[in-house]
Amino acid sequence: MKINGPFVEKVLTTFIKEELAKFNYKKAILGLSGGLDSSVCSYLAVKALGSKNVIALIMPYKNTFHEDATDAQEIAARLKIQWKIVDISLMVDAYFSKYPTQNKIIIGNKMARERMSILYDFSARKKALILGSSNKTELLLGYGTIHGDMACAINPLGDLYKTQIRQLGQHLGLPKKILKKQPTAGLWAGQTDEGELGLTYAEADKILYMLVDQRSSKKEVIKSGFKKEKIDKIISLIKNSEFKRKMPPIPKISARTIGLDFLYPYDWDK
Amino acid sequence: MKIAIVQISPFLGDIKKNFELHLEYTEKAKKKKADLVIFPELSLTGYTLKDIVEEVALIPEKDRYFKELKTLSREISIIFGFVEEKENGLFFNSAAFLSKGKVIHIHRKVFLPTYGMFEEGKFFAQGKNFKTFDTPFGKTGMMICRDFLSYGACYLLFAGDSEIIIIISAAPGRGVTGKEAYETSRMWELMGEAISRFSTAFVIYCNRVGFEDGKAFAGGSYIYNPWGKLSAKASYLDKDFLFQEIDLDEIRRARKRWSFKRDDKPEIILEALKRIVREYED
Repeated sequence: MKINGPFVEKVLTTFIKEELAKFNYKKAILGLSGGLDSSVCSYLAVKALGSKNVIALIMPYKNTFHEDATDAQEIAARLKIQWKIVDISLMVDAYFSKYPTQNKIIIGNKMARERMSILYDFSARKKALILGSSNKTELLLGYGTIHGDMACAINPLGDLYKTQIRQLGQHLGLPKKILKKQPTAGLWAGQTDEGELGLTYAEADKILYMLVDQRSSKKEVIKSGFKKEKIDKIISLIKNSEFKRKMPPIPKISARTIGLDFLYPYDWDK
Repeated sequence: MKIAIVQISPFLGDIKKNFELHLEYTEKAKKKKADLVIFPELSLTGYTLKDIVEEVALIPEKDRYFKELKTLSREISIIFGFVEEKENGLFFNSAAFLSKGKVIHIHRKVFLPTYGMFEEGKFFAQGKNFKTFDTPFGKTGMMICRDFLSYGACYLLFAGDSEIIIIISAAPGRGVTGKEAYETSRMWELMGEAISRFSTAFVIYCNRVGFEDGKAFAGGSYIYNPWGKLSAKASYLDKDFLFQEIDLDEIRRARKRWSFKRDDKPEIILEALKRIVREYED
């Protein structure tokens, strides 16, 4: 699972540069949480496009992640990129005052989609393409909000596991504080991904790497020293989140149906 | 013989722009006095075409871009990749060798990768032959990308007396190892080294770069000489223009030293193959 920092940096910065050029954008915009993934993505964007072409939106809800918001500002200042704080408390509170709930996941998802909505709005205002920061671990486990933090125009980090993103972050020279940060989806205060999943990223990534990249069987993964329950949990998370990685199915009626036999590349005529 | 390998990133689905790229680089190769300029697989159309295939298909005898390239080939031989409508409604992933104003040969890709991220078999008809043909530089065989990873296909060019094997490619990189290249780049180099050495022939590989739908084409174009030694190599990932003079007498020298060609036994291989195929179980 070891990656070569300079090589991966080159692939990803070339990708960002080329995709923006294809879609006629000069600027990129992203949500900067102060966590590892969006920080790595900002560093890559700056390397690809230059500081003046990268815009970061920091979108806190009240004071729940005060430290992260401060870190995000530090990263933005360090990279000399444009940044803006858009507090989502007003919109989110207005909604839940009308439709109250105690369900933390529902509240967290709403916040993620609020941020998405603001990001798309600013994308249009600033003519900047949205960079996503979902890593391969999250995408495979379905550990993201559909149409929320998973929404973006291009996702440079989507084929790197969390532990590989940390390697890349080290190579890019991110502050130690960010590299060491406990990963959190930021759905509620005190939440950590590892706590919620009942697995460490180191474990999850190794199991995923074997199952997905190496196409190992469950038996082989067990043999390599992982508990059956952990592997089962991961397999079920992957299966139950396939819908988040696909366009919604369309029932076939015509001779040529979108997604089934109307097949064009994303980079059509680019 | 002077060779120019053009490691570019064609525009997906835009023949006009790609044709201009071909003009630009052919001119550049001509200025350097190259005898042959080579473009990658589907250089005139881009690779991830899917349903665009039928929109960008050409009929060589009737197409105006083809005609212009043929005219250009009076001064420099040109190899490029395109979508060919050979018969009505049948589209091939083809490579053309133009020289002295004529089409010397068209190779139609036989091995259409259709697995994982590859879907060529869904959109292209399959070529049926690996033919060695005469060129101003000697007996030559052409392959397209995945064709070259079949050592059976490589053998057909060897048995057919090819002395120069030219592969045009649109090979996406995949797999990380901690090294400063994709894992698959090594696979292409390994094949180049082995086939050049054991065919005592030049192997010239022209790959493309750039991204299409997230796939990074890995570049790393190369020339191996008939001794299995690397004579030139382009960068990974970046556009490149690889210009190299090769000494065709190396073929003779290598074949005097190594008797692989002299001692080849195509009749025995053919008979053994027939037996193998006959004995396939239903």
